[in-house]
Amino acid sequence: MISIKGLSVSYDRKVVLSNVYLEIAEGSLCGILGPNGAGKSTLFKAILGLTPTNSGKISVNEKPIEKCRKEVVYLPQKGEIDWQFPATVLDVVLMGRYPHLKLLQQLSKKDKEMTAAALQDMGIEHLAKRQIGELSGGQQQRVFLARAICQEADVFLLDEPFVGVDITTEEKIVEILKKLAAQGKTMLVVHHDLSKVEEFFDTVVLLNQRIIASGETKMTFTDENINKAYGGQLTILHRTEET
Amino acid sequence: MDFIEILQSQWAVRALLASSMVGIMCGVLGCFIVLRNMSLIGDALSHAILPGVVFGFMIAGYSVLGFFVGSVIAGLLAAFAITWIQQNVKTKNDAAIGIVFTAMFSVGVMAISHLSRTEGVHLDLKDFLFGNVLGVSNDDLYLTAGIGVYVLVSIVVFYRYLFATTFQPVIAETMGISVKTVHYFLMLLLSFVVVASLRTVGVILVVAMLITPAATALLLTNRLQRVLVYAGFIGFFSAASGLILAIIWDTTPGPAMTVVATIIYVLAMLFSPEKGLVFKYFRNRKMKEKILIEDILKQTLRLSERGVVTVEKLSDKLGFSTAAIRGKLPNLKRKGLIIIHNKTLQLTEEGKNQATRLVRAHRLWETYLVEKMGLTAEQIHEDAEKYEHILTDEILDEMEEKLGFPALDPHGSPIPKRSKNANFTLSKLVLNQLAKIEGHQINDHVTTRIWELGLLPESEFKVATIEANYIEIQIGENLIKIPMDLSRKIAVLV
Repeated sequence: MISIKGLSVSYDRKVVLSNVYLEIAEGSLCGILGPNGAGKSTLFKAILGLTPTNSGKISVNEKPIEKCRKEVVYLPQKGEIDWQFPATVLDVVLMGRYPHLKLLQQLSKKDKEMTAAALQDMGIEHLAKRQIGELSGGQQQRVFLARAICQEADVFLLDEPFVGVDITTEEKIVEILKKLAAQGKTMLVVHHDLSKVEEFFDTVVLLNQRIIASGETKMTFTDENINKAYGGQLTILHRTEET
Repeated sequence: MDFIEILQSQWAVRALLASSMVGIMCGVLGCFIVLRNMSLIGDALSHAILPGVVFGFMIAGYSVLGFFVGSVIAGLLAAFAITWIQQNVKTKNDAAIGIVFTAMFSVGVMAISHLSRTEGVHLDLKDFLFGNVLGVSNDDLYLTAGIGVYVLVSIVVFYRYLFATTFQPVIAETMGISVKTVHYFLMLLLSFVVVASLRTVGVILVVAMLITPAATALLLTNRLQRVLVYAGFIGFFSAASGLILAIIWDTTPGPAMTVVATIIYVLAMLFSPEKGLVFKYFRNRKMKEKILIEDILKQTLRLSERGVVTVEKLSDKLGFSTAAIRGKLPNLKRKGLIIIHNKTLQLTEEGKNQATRLVRAHRLWETYLVEKMGLTAEQIHEDAEKYEHILTDEILDEMEEKLGFPALDPHGSPIPKRSKNANFTLSKLVLNQLAKIEGHQINDHVTTRIWELGLLPESEFKVATIEANYIEIQIGENLIKIPMDLSRKIAVLV
């Protein structure tokens, strides 16, 4: 569960988020929508304690983030990853176990079994020894999702997980997200493609520097709210996508 | 002096031991420096420890420990100062590095000349700059060994922290790893290594020992653990062989080590199996050859629809000389793709298949560009001429599926099917129809899922039930349910 009270963030005097109040309940699969520069990624960074805030109180499972890093997992945008780095699929997925290790503790057999199971779950066990840059876009996203699963977190923050992946992977990701939400995890997903919102998410947050609307998808994801969030610029696009 | 004599003189053996250890630790630690884009920091830290050496001397005299402590303090001070400026002042990152290290280096040089003038002490700046490996004392050797063990053990024990913060610092932070602490710990290790390297290579060339072996190793393998081992070995080899060559040829050791390391780098750059320039060149040449051969096949198919095909006609169409085309014919013949009869070319059955495959790739790509990218029929031919040689069957099948199995391309020409039975998927079968699972599936993912369901290639089955969201098939006594989305991807033979 995530609770945000009166969050404001600005970079160099430019306001990015202003007076955001938000409660995301356990077990919800929530889409964060809004135009470019609406502050979606900043919201994630603020929840993760990675960016200085002007004001506001953020708590995860009723604790400040510093007290519960283990319980929160973050999947960054694909563009933020160095695909040339000499890391294999297995190296990356094993990282998911790092938060559970003490200072000098090494990876145990149980950690390795868990990693193998996550690879299998995502259907990428045959790629374990590949360097991450040698994979297709869909396979790459599966690797990072496998790592997120291994981390056994309660709260998932996923930044644009559907960008640049094939249809089969998209279906797989949705299946996993729904499964995790059903287990009582809190899933937050920054999302771009307005055409599949109803299909993917049970709740949505429309964001544009402030909260435009939030709540159950059916009630919240209305043309009127979308208009407000996107300032009219996207209505035409939205309609063409629907036809 | 030859190799045996070197091993018999104590000073040379001490030098060899010290250089080898320095080579290993620089190589291994250097991997993280290179991967973090901190090469310049390595250079900076090595210069910045000069005042530390001088003040260490002022306080403790000629003592290895005094030099060591002074240098490490100066190194860390430089690292703090650089990071502080980068975070708090609007000065570019590399400019901040330049400002700090030149300032500290200058203070060191001034202190040395002041000392030698007022107190008559002679600290040799040249030793500091280029090292004096032949003057390594036992104390130096112990210090180097101690540092080497400490650095390597630290890297092994804290490997996962170094890996995580180097690969994805932001993620490491969200996992509760303090990126800042790891950064300063790395700076501490770097200061240690620089101090240990002073005697052997000197400040100017430390950076070569840090960067060149690491960069070489990164050209050779894609696995971090191997990169570390390779770099350590290359560092060791460069340092040891550089030293021996320097003694034999009576030249300066530090530069000799650097030259050896650079030669290895150049060799890797040229001949690395994956990333080497020579192999890239051959790969390109092979690709060009493949394109010419495929173009010959395609044109032969096209021209044969309008009469006999000769080399001259092909040359005309393809814009290659008749000699170039003749040069490829033996190859095509050997592969059983063409028959030459009375100077005319004929495609064999296999040759026709391959040519048809290219036509399929060409036309599917054109259709894709028009349908999905919104280009017009006039814009697409050139592009398709290139891509027809690159697209794999897997991609083509996927494109065909996404396009809804089109019959005609944008110019109105028919798109050939993959094979007689191709594109016949399980979803298209009717109730009670008999069929076989095809051996070759559209992609590995489908193959794996079929296998997970217990279906083997070539196994015969009957369609037992068709529902909205699944199809049930019967193999022997067993009934197997297959989800509808999967059944659209499973290729079958009827």
